[in-house]
Amino acid sequence: MPKVYRALVCCRAGIGSSMMLEAKCKQVIAEEGLPIETRHGSVDELSEFDGDLVITMTDLVGELEADPRVPSSVGITNIVDKDEIKQKLVSWLDARA
Amino acid sequence: MLSDLLDEGFVQLGVEADDWEDAVRTSTRPLLDAGKIAPSYVEDIISGVKDLGPYIVIAPHVALPHARPECGALEPAVGVVTLREPVEFGSANDPVRYLFPLSATDDDGHLGALQSLVEILSDADFFAQLDRAKTPAKVVELVKAKEGRL
Repeated sequence: MPKVYRALVCCRAGIGSSMMLEAKCKQVIAEEGLPIETRHGSVDELSEFDGDLVITMTDLVGELEADPRVPSSVGITNIVDKDEIKQKLVSWLDARA
Repeated sequence: MLSDLLDEGFVQLGVEADDWEDAVRTSTRPLLDAGKIAPSYVEDIISGVKDLGPYIVIAPHVALPHARPECGALEPAVGVVTLREPVEFGSANDPVRYLFPLSATDDDGHLGALQSLVEILSDADFFAQLDRAKTPAKVVELVKAKEGRL
């Protein structure tokens, strides 16, 4: 079985923009057949997250990267831009291939 | 449904705002007055932006003012606000002209509504029509029409 990476799509509130960003990520993942599965949550859920990747708003990336609980992160600036999401997830996967 | 969370009273068109904080306060006021959010919710949005950066600016020209559910989201609701003059949040998506204040309670019950919202925000035609809408009733009609086509 090829590896499926586990991603936490998070925002500060854990609801709202993270749910919306997760919906767009799921579309891109399905359309492109990317080996990533997602769940959404707040930054507080990082303590119990043992997956591979955190997807969040670009503005939160700086703070998350300083957090030792964050394995790796991808920041999205425009959550309705599927091309941006696709490009960033594909380069994240390429870096692990 | 997104349109179930949107009330004409939560729509404000051509609003004047001095800066991003004023825009956030003005956009959330009808939700506050209707008891959808507590005053602490607005304060949490503002302190969040001050502490963490403009994380509520989620797409070009679009802000989604929302906070942690436990900070005073009382009932799910969404508003639609357009500004007369856009404001700067210090985001890559500046300047912000449209705000969609959101009261998101802590459950997945409004997941469908948020999925509709993100699809509507993906639709450039929605913003063109929003710019032409003259009344809150027209905006509610527009959201219902867009949602019906999803």
